[in-house]
Formats: sequence, structure tokens, C-alpha cells
Amino acid sequence: MATIDLIDLKKNYGNVQAVKGVNLTVADGELIVLVGPSGCGKSTLLRMVAGLETVTSGRIEIGGKDVVRAEPAERDIAMVFQNYALYPHMSVRGNLEYGLKNRGTPRAEIDRRVQDAADILEIGPLLERKPRQLSGGQRQRVAMGRAIVREPAAFLFDEPLSNLDAKLRVQMRVEIRRLQRRLKTTSLYVTHDQLEAMTLADRLVVMNGGLVEQIGTPIEVYDRPATLFVAGFIGSPPMNLIPAASLSGGENAEALQLGADTDIVGLRPDQLHLERPEGNALTLAGTVELLEPVGGESHLHVQIPGTEQPIILTVQGRPKLEEGDTITIYARPENIHPFNQQTGWRTDAS
Amino acid sequence: MQTKRTIFPNKLLPYALLAPQLAVTLIFFIWPAAQAVKSSFEREDPFGFRTTFIWFENYTRLFSEPGYLNSLTKTAIFAVSVTLLSMSLALLLAVAVNRVLKSNRTYTTLLVWPYAVAPVVVGILWWFMFNPTIGIAPYMLRGLGIDWNHRVDGNQAMILVVIAASWKQISYNFLFFVAGLQSVPQSLNEAAAIDGAGPFKRFWTIVFPLLSPTTFFLLIVNINYAMFDTFGLIDATTNGGPNQATNILVYKVYADGFLGLNIGSSAAQSVVLMLIVIALTAIQFRYIERRVQY
Repeated sequence: MATIDLIDLKKNYGNVQAVKGVNLTVADGELIVLVGPSGCGKSTLLRMVAGLETVTSGRIEIGGKDVVRAEPAERDIAMVFQNYALYPHMSVRGNLEYGLKNRGTPRAEIDRRVQDAADILEIGPLLERKPRQLSGGQRQRVAMGRAIVREPAAFLFDEPLSNLDAKLRVQMRVEIRRLQRRLKTTSLYVTHDQLEAMTLADRLVVMNGGLVEQIGTPIEVYDRPATLFVAGFIGSPPMNLIPAASLSGGENAEALQLGADTDIVGLRPDQLHLERPEGNALTLAGTVELLEPVGGESHLHVQIPGTEQPIILTVQGRPKLEEGDTITIYARPENIHPFNQQTGWRTDAS
Repeated sequence: MQTKRTIFPNKLLPYALLAPQLAVTLIFFIWPAAQAVKSSFEREDPFGFRTTFIWFENYTRLFSEPGYLNSLTKTAIFAVSVTLLSMSLALLLAVAVNRVLKSNRTYTTLLVWPYAVAPVVVGILWWFMFNPTIGIAPYMLRGLGIDWNHRVDGNQAMILVVIAASWKQISYNFLFFVAGLQSVPQSLNEAAAIDGAGPFKRFWTIVFPLLSPTTFFLLIVNINYAMFDTFGLIDATTNGGPNQATNILVYKVYADGFLGLNIGSSAAQSVVLMLIVIALTAIQFRYIERRVQY
């Protein structure tokens, strides 16, 4: 049980700044997900916390203790790797015991912890097998088990689910969540999958280009993206980002009460409607360019005059529309996200 | 597994295509080997006029002859020493190079050079360095109070040929070890570091076991090398002496056959050597095919 504090953490590779000063506090028992596109520095950040990567400047504190110069072994953390990194020449039991043996844990204690972990993860029957005899999901469990038996201050997850197939990924995601809730171990979790990030996180850290763009609960981040990058990155299909100039004028003047520095307007696909809502509404007319049925809902691509990209909106069910139809779409004023192109920041930030 | 099959329209064509390889094998390998087996059952008079078929007498004599048993022992000592020395040094160098990030290609290239040197030249090189009269090594050893003269001291002669033979083989082993080390995923090392294992422990508990297929392969190759490919080196340095101290099997085959002109005994010795090669190869295939499983 511990907190993790990152204070102005930086990492340079030669002239390349991979992490440009990150401040973050992970509360005791919290699961924080670092999410961002590849190359945003999220993995580097995690590896610095693990002690696998040196720190250029800044501090890392685990449980209030500065660990920047500590060896990985001295940090009391456990890590789950993307490729699991199971020791191929050891049995599952050997894999689980290795870290405990290295620390001189008494035999009885090792057996108890291995048994506990095997029960929790339901890998009891696999204990005598070698990693190559296991399926992807089973290997994943063993990797988790190796972290659990250590009973560390913090878990670090480096894209642990990205080698699994889609179905198994959802299942393991739920299991990781359940396990973390049960053990209440402080966790840092790196992923590029935003669905994984949204569903797992107590709080999300969205990173881009070595910097933190926004920290917040998944719902906060979704409802009030702090920057243009976050707006475009979180949400599927992504938020429509439209030049403000192409919307103003006519009947939209009332609904669009934008500050002078707003030049981009963001609209979530699921917050656009085909029927006019009560009160003020942003009104857009356009032609249906493409209709994508995705099962329970459909994605409509609508071309609006004055914009380059078609606007995407999510409609429940299967609307009776055809490509080429002219339609009008509406958005409530509170669902309009104003941004400034230059700074990338939200302009109505409180 | 499905294998590729080619159907030839002409029935003779496949045989014609195989013929050159078969001819080379038959003329240069099978025929001499068969001759050796035949000669090993015969005794030839000193002038080569008459050969008598004597069944296994060459073999029975061989194994009751102290000189041959001595040679067997020396071969074992030589092969084991060369294998251990060259493999351990090569592993040490490979681990060191694997840790160097920059310029490890340069080191690798430089370390491979000795392999390109012919065994006889290697022999002469070390013979010069350890020459009791003019060599640099005896001069320095004298400073340490060691009187080096491998011409009279059998143990020193053995040390000399072991060093020379190992030096050449280190390059070869090094290459394989470097390749083996590079195929051990970095994340295993990292996982072990987090699991609380120091660098030394990580090497012995994680990296070394994962190298076992490479190590096993090299073990066989090195024993083979020490037993069969070192003739030129022995010939250039010690000629099997002093007093048979470095007279390993392959050198004895040559000495008895071509210097002593005892063709029958020499042939019997080479047949024994042949059997040893076959045994080693069989072991190699049996284990390498299955790999050292992990």
C-alpha cells in the first residue's frame, strides 16, 4: 500500500525529449491509466517508475520515499509486461516463486502465497506446466500471478492485454479490474487502447508528445476534454472538430455563444440529434454521405457546407435514410465544446 | 507437414542430377574410409610386397599398447581443456560485448579474426611466442620464477597446445554465444531485475539456462575440433612430444602411418577415431534435434 508521486519528471534520449516534465500523484489503492498514442512517452514514464530507465531530472517517490537512484528490486513494485516475460525454462510455480526466493522468503510463506495467487487467478492446475504449454490468456494470468505473490506496494502494467485477441482482452480487462479492486494495490497501467483506459481507470492521464494533456476521471475527460488533442483522442467515433466560422450566422447565433478566442467547435457524435431538442439548439444542414450500420446503432457521415471533413453522428437503431438525403442535425448548447486552434486549449475552462 | 515433391518427366534426369554429389562422396569419402577399414584388418610387410589378413589383431594390439592408451588419455585431457577454456572465455567475451551498446560490431568483427587463421599458422605463432630460446612468453615467465621449456616438460607442452588450440576456437564460440545472447529477450532480464535478482544471479538463473541449446551445440563442435582439427597445430608446435606428452589420437594416426609406416595399426586407429566421430555426431543429432527443451 503506497502512493506514487512523480515530480517534474523528465527523460531525454540524446536530443530527443521523450518525457517533458510530468507531475502526477497516484493515491493509495488507486488505478491510474496512462493513455496516449505510440511515442507519447507513456511507456518510458512507466519504465522510469519501475527503475528500468534512468531519470534525466525530477523525482519519483513511492510511499513517500525517493527511489530515483534505487534498483528496480528495491522499489517494492511488480510489473506485468506486454509479452508477459515469463521465464520459459521454469514451470509456472517456478515463475511465481522466483521473486520470493530471491528475497529469501521462508518456504512455508512462499507456498502459501503461491497457493493464494493460484486460487485467485484459477491457475492451480497449471502450476507444474511450462509457459510454452499455456495459451495466451493463461500466460497473462501467470504474469499477473507473478506480480501478486510479491505483495508489492504498487503494480505497473505495460500494455498487458495488447497481445490477446479481442474477446479475451475484454474478459481479462474485467478480471484485472476486479482483482485490483479486491487487492486495493496502487496501480499504474499503460495502454494505447482508449476503451481499456476508460473502463479500467479510476483516473485517466492522457499523454501526448511527452506531456500530460489532461488528468481526470474517465467521465470528466469524456465530458470536458481539456485540449483539442484529448477531444480527438478519447471517444469512438472521435469528436467532430469543426471550424467555428462555418457554423456561426443565421439561427445559430443564439445557440452558439462563443468567446472571442474560440475558433474550433467540438461535437460528440453521440450528442448530435436528428430531432430538434427543446430550447436553443445548434442547427446544421447537410447531405448524408455514408451510412454505416454497426448493429445496435448506426454512424451517419454528413457533409456540411463549409467544412472539409464530414460530421459523424451516432444514431440509435437504423434510421430510414439513404446516402444523398438532405437532413438537419441538432446539438444542445451545453454539448458544444469550444477550443482555440492556436493553444489547443479549451476556451471555457473554469 | 507437407513436403515439396517434384515430378521429373525423364526417369534418368534425377539420377543425373544426383550423380556429381554421389561421385564426390563415393570417391573422396566412402572409398578411402572403406580402404581404411580394410587396411585395419591387414598386416603389410616393411617393403609393401605382401599383405596378410589378420582379423582383429591390429585392434587387440592397439588396446594393449601403453603408447595408445597414453594417447587416449592425452586426447581426453586436451579435448576437455580446450573445450572448457575456449568456451568459457568466449562466453565471457560475448557477455561483455553484449553489454556494450556502442561499437559492439567493431568488437565482434575484431574478435572473429583469429578464426580465419589456419591451424598451422596458429601453431607457429604460439610456437614463436613460447619458444624457450627466443620467445617473449618464457622471458616474462622467468621474471615470475617459472622456467618455461616445453621441449622437455610434457605438462608445459600440453599447456602450450591447449592455449594455441583454444585461442583459435574462441572466435567461433564467441560468434555463437553473441547470437544466442541476443536472442534472449531483454524483458526477461528486466522482469528478473524487478524480481530482485542481481546481475550475476540473473545471468546464471535466466540467461545461461536459455543459452543451453547454443552451449550444447558448441560443446559437441569443440570436442570434435579439439580431437580432429588440431593436427596441423600439433605438428607445427610439439610434434606430439616431448615423450608422447602431446601425442593426441589424430596425430598418432599420422605419426604411426606416415612416419612409422605401420599402415595396419594406423588404419585401425583411424577406424576407432571414425567410430568416435560417429558417436559424437549421433549424440549431437539426437539432442540438437529435440533441442534442450525449455
